[in-house]
Amino acid sequence: MIEKNVDVSIPIGPLHPALKEPLRIKLHTVGERVVDAEVELGYMHRGIERILKGKPWNKAVYLAERVCGICSNIHCMTFIETLEKISDVEPTPRAKYLRVIVNELDRIQSHLIANVSYFLGIEHETLAMYTLDVRENSMDLLEMVSGNRVHMSWNVLGGVRWDIEDHHLKTILEMLDRMEPRIRRYMGMFEHGPLLQLRSRGIGVLSYEDAVKVPAVGPVARGSGHPESDWRLRHPTYRDIFDFKAISRKEGDNTARVLVRFDEIFQSMNLIRDAIDNLPKGNIQNKGRVKAGEGFHSGEAPRGELKYFVKTDSAGKIDDITIRTPTRLNLETCARYMLAGSPSIADAVAIYASIDPCIACTEG
Amino acid sequence: MIFDKLKNFVRRKSFHVTYADAGSCNGCSIEVLATICPRYDIEQYGIFVHHPNPREADILIITGCVTEQWKTKLKELYDKIPEPKVVVAVGSCACSGGIFDQEGKRVYPPIKNFIPVAAEVPGCPPRPSEILDAILGVAPIVFKDYDKKEANK
Ligand code: SF4
Repeated sequence: MIEKNVDVSIPIGPLHPALKEPLRIKLHTVGERVVDAEVELGYMHRGIERILKGKPWNKAVYLAERVCGICSNIHCMTFIETLEKISDVEPTPRAKYLRVIVNELDRIQSHLIANVSYFLGIEHETLAMYTLDVRENSMDLLEMVSGNRVHMSWNVLGGVRWDIEDHHLKTILEMLDRMEPRIRRYMGMFEHGPLLQLRSRGIGVLSYEDAVKVPAVGPVARGSGHPESDWRLRHPTYRDIFDFKAISRKEGDNTARVLVRFDEIFQSMNLIRDAIDNLPKGNIQNKGRVKAGEGFHSGEAPRGELKYFVKTDSAGKIDDITIRTPTRLNLETCARYMLAGSPSIADAVAIYASIDPCIACTEG
Repeated sequence: MIFDKLKNFVRRKSFHVTYADAGSCNGCSIEVLATICPRYDIEQYGIFVHHPNPREADILIITGCVTEQWKTKLKELYDKIPEPKVVVAVGSCACSGGIFDQEGKRVYPPIKNFIPVAAEVPGCPPRPSEILDAILGVAPIVFKDYDKKEANK
């Protein structure tokens, strides 16, 4: 138990206007100031790891991407890459590029909705609507490329499901050119809006030391000056072909986290442009089959490091699987270092939204 | 009589929506969120979506298969909403359990075992326009002459 002098304990959730997903946050307050916070999970547990056990790998792909609906593609990609690591299959050069294109489109879409929920968290509806409107364009691109808005099943063993045609590539480039100035404008509105900054700057500060201690991952860590937390730096395609550099900011407050996401959107756009310009010709799938074995693999989800542990048997079935999602770490960081010390209860909601939580992932 | 007409008129075009996530993968949740964006713009039909609050809602949107914790809470949530009310189940998960209704599951679908459902929108996830279509299609039917129907029961 906490032995601090606490005036009131305020529960937020499980159903609360500010939360998109059910979870309970308990804020211990002195006056308006929050001194401690507890997070209670358990409303979204679907037992997805248990369902996955004993499934053939090709069925497991569909389940793995339904761990999360916002960052669906990265789950599919990391799962397939783990299998490829176990069974020594390499994707074809063209497939590597196509994977990057869809992965980055998915990241754009996810970062935009993360910022939307932050803007709704600080009650700035205009900016939220603008950002949500731009997001529809990236959803259109995803639908055009893969045939579905959310769950794309884009990656298969040794490649991708199908090819992107040339006129579609052209449409992607055109659409990105149209989206970029709009997103820049909204970023400027956020960065230079005095009232928006009043609610964001210096709120929910996470120092570099604390970020490394838990550790925080994804834009939360990069907002606190920890660029090595980006796992794309260690991904063979990003590292060797695209010469990827991670973005970070020093401040560690809500503003930094939102701006890191905005910056990463532009970075993703440049990655997509790069990939389309240098797209090699050739096959999109390598043949191969899943062997028995076990392995770890990490990928960079829009929210941070996503880790898969998979054990397969010789028939290609999943023997054991463990998924660690980024929000698990970020929630811990948020409750321990960011919510405790929040100047008011209204800011607590904004701080919680700024880490871009995804409870469905976390509980599986 | 005049009073009934007035009620019908008012109820035709002013709904409050509340939204609950009973264990979805978030795919359906973001498609519900996408209905408020300027392209689909649920508010132009007189539907108020911000700040979901069951106590003043008319329409309850539920996504997801029912998890252990939600088994008892769904009914509680439903009872909090004042009459007349409409429940729209969004997504294959809410309609039948979808992909999670397999061996080893920890979920208890479908939603309609727990609370009465007026409309089901299948799809994994359904498009925002389909969700919008379901809400706009079913709500006026339930709300029209509601008091008369109740009296005749
Ligand atoms: S129906 Fe599909 S998208 Fe919707 S919650 Fe279920 S798995 Fe996710």
